[in-house]
Amino acid sequence: MTAARFDDLIHPPTRLAIVSLLAASQWADFKFIRDSVALSDSALSKQLATLEQAGYVEIRKGFVGKRPRTSARLTPAGRTAFEQHVAALQAMVARSGVKIVPS
Amino acid sequence: MDEDPHTADAAWALADIQRRQQQVIDQATVPGWYWWAVGALMVVLAVGVDVRTPAALGAAVPVFAVGLLTATGAAVRGQFRQARLRNGLLDGTGVTAILGFVALIVGGTLGIAFALRAGGIHYPATLACLAGGTAMGLGGPVLMRTLRRIMLGNRAGSPR
Repeated sequence: MTAARFDDLIHPPTRLAIVSLLAASQWADFKFIRDSVALSDSALSKQLATLEQAGYVEIRKGFVGKRPRTSARLTPAGRTAFEQHVAALQAMVARSGVKIVPS
Repeated sequence: MDEDPHTADAAWALADIQRRQQQVIDQATVPGWYWWAVGALMVVLAVGVDVRTPAALGAAVPVFAVGLLTATGAAVRGQFRQARLRNGLLDGTGVTAILGFVALIVGGTLGIAFALRAGGIHYPATLACLAGGTAMGLGGPVLMRTLRRIMLGNRAGSPR
């Protein structure tokens, strides 16, 4: 069972959205994250840099043909932090008795 | 009674986590047209087999092979450009569902073809592939919905 630990770095809505996308992926393309979260290139770069500095995200830069391509993935530490954060959120909700209805 | 703001925030966060993970899973779904394309290509190949002339077979095999590669490439190209699904999302149940679907289509098509041939019906392979291709076109999206449900169940934070 995953230990519950609320993570202040992950919790802000934009970073939570980015980490949630990455949690379902092996890796995700920069443009896919940008379009999914509706951020500008610079805003996404800033958020990814914050997550990278925390050791939660790994940024990979490469080329597809002659086009530069940037992708990101959660590190094992990032995945653990995300799962612990989800467990903490679930514990908060469970204590209140509120039910999350799956969409 | 007002809800505790922290609880409301946590509930919103959990709902958003689910929505974001669905986004990744949905972009990896094989489009509906793919299954009908593969079904149609099966029929093309079967016509080549049933006509039994070198020219018909010589035309049907390349159309099938090139068509299958093109359709598969078009269906997965977008997915690999965007995000690759985490391996753990598709567990043994998902793999069993895929293998079961393939076995059902292949087994059913072959069974129908052999039965028609034994009954002396003309163009048994073509007729069997018409049935198999239709089953693929109708069943492919059902398989995708099943896999989506399995993957959503295996994502972080899902109620298991």
